[in-house]
Amino acid sequence: MRKVVALVRRELIAYFSSPLAYMVLTAFLFLQGYVFYLIIAFLNNPRTEAMAPLRLFFGGTIFFWLFLLFVIPVITMRLVSEERRSGTIEPLLTSPVTEGQVITGKFLAALIFYIILWLPTVIYVLILKHYTAIDLGPVASGYLGVLLLGILFLGVGTFTSTLAKNQLIAAVFAFAAIVILFSVGLIQQLLVSSSAIRQALGYMNLWTQMDDFARGIVDTRHIVYQLSVGLMFLYFAAKSLEVKKWR
Amino acid sequence: MIEVEHLGKTFVDTPAVDDVSFFVPEGQVLGFLGPNGAGKTTTMRMITGFLPPSTGRVVVAGVDLDQNPVDLRRNLGYLPETVPLYPEMRVDEYLRFRADIEGVPRGEIAANMDYVIERCMLGDVRRQVIGTLSKGYRQRVGLAGALVHKPPVLILDEPTVGLDPNQIIKIRELIRELGRNHTIILSTHILPEVEEVCQRVLIIDRGKIVADGPPEELRTRLVGNPVVRVRLEGANGAGAEALAGLDGVIKVSPVEVDLYRVEHAPEADPRSSIFHLAVEHGWTLTELAPERASLEDVFVRLTTHEPAPGSQPQSGTEEAHDA
Repeated sequence: MRKVVALVRRELIAYFSSPLAYMVLTAFLFLQGYVFYLIIAFLNNPRTEAMAPLRLFFGGTIFFWLFLLFVIPVITMRLVSEERRSGTIEPLLTSPVTEGQVITGKFLAALIFYIILWLPTVIYVLILKHYTAIDLGPVASGYLGVLLLGILFLGVGTFTSTLAKNQLIAAVFAFAAIVILFSVGLIQQLLVSSSAIRQALGYMNLWTQMDDFARGIVDTRHIVYQLSVGLMFLYFAAKSLEVKKWR
Repeated sequence: MIEVEHLGKTFVDTPAVDDVSFFVPEGQVLGFLGPNGAGKTTTMRMITGFLPPSTGRVVVAGVDLDQNPVDLRRNLGYLPETVPLYPEMRVDEYLRFRADIEGVPRGEIAANMDYVIERCMLGDVRRQVIGTLSKGYRQRVGLAGALVHKPPVLILDEPTVGLDPNQIIKIRELIRELGRNHTIILSTHILPEVEEVCQRVLIIDRGKIVADGPPEELRTRLVGNPVVRVRLEGANGAGAEALAGLDGVIKVSPVEVDLYRVEHAPEADPRSSIFHLAVEHGWTLTELAPERASLEDVFVRLTTHEPAPGSQPQSGTEEAHDA
């Protein structure tokens, strides 16, 4: 446990000593602010039907997904690939830590960074709360959905980061994998004629899952799906790190 | 302390290390010598468990690498050749991190850090970011990182490469000191380093061990009898005969007029009798120096694959030719 904490702390030092972290944070805040502005403008239109205002904020717009699809690979790309490129993987893996501990530490650091990314958006909730009565239930479940998506996508990114020594290649792999995961439910569903498969793919539709969370529906099927796929990729990451030694 | 049995590693089709076996007793400093690409790093990586061996087994401090790699690494400090460090961390942050992942008990971390910072002379850069340090400092930070959990066994891959002469002397001193209570395997291609620091040398070439023994022994075994250079002014050619008559002298070969190479039996040092000889004949002795064949010669002989002109075939050389 202590070793994992040490690994997390080291990863966070690495994140916050690089300009990339601040660029991502700034861009993310800028975009979220813009989205928030659009939503407010949209909801202020008298012709808009009444709805939970933050439902659009959590996954209701394409901006949410676009940014997530880009930002996750940027968060995870350096995790393992940088250690392999610089050779620090050698003293790391010859110290008494397991591959599982290394992956866990790196993943948790990425998750903490992701949470820090989202933290300032609480301000929007507070602003809305100041001007109007909002139901905090859907807000909480919206954040839960964001967290679960983070676990899923960051898990994928951690895995792809073990595949390449080059960060950019790791990022491209992560991007491709996340796009596939995202679209398999959304688009494939429309292309398949068999209703059983269509229904199965429907369960994997991350957009509707996120929308459920944003509406305040906490469906355990969604939680199980996102957590288990995320953990599966983390397991793959640990195995991949083990296998890399055999090359 | 370190047992290596029939260790081998094959990359695709080329064997990098081929059936290497040796044993390092506790407290020994073993020098691992070989030209570039001989298999030094590969062997070391296999001992540390970073690279799984194709064949053979490794036991360090009684722990079999195959059965318990994590326990084995606990007893091991390893400094890779490239000294990989995290450039964005501060020196003390890095050492703290290493102490944590090496599992140093919480209460001992501060003391261990102070110890390695003092031993590796890092006091004045303690709070500095590693990326801004010079090569010499980085080398010492790497060494400190490998030492912070006070492992009984140290594996150092070319620890002095890229350092300036002063730093080299300091690091060698440090390694010699560490050798008193650590078992060390040290790889290098700098020969004086081995003679200075190591009690035993293992020469590896093309993945095979071609020589194994204390540096002095290797020198005499492979270079032949010791030689003294003698300059006798005024002897005018008469010196050779007179020198040949001395006890223990095997062969006298004139180099120039009045300058001779005197080969003698290793147990008999003819220098004082040469002095008396000169006095007796009224010759002026202006040079009397043992010609120390260096380990360099041994190394070149063992790892050169064409027979050197005039060199006798030696036991180790044969193997090297076949390899």
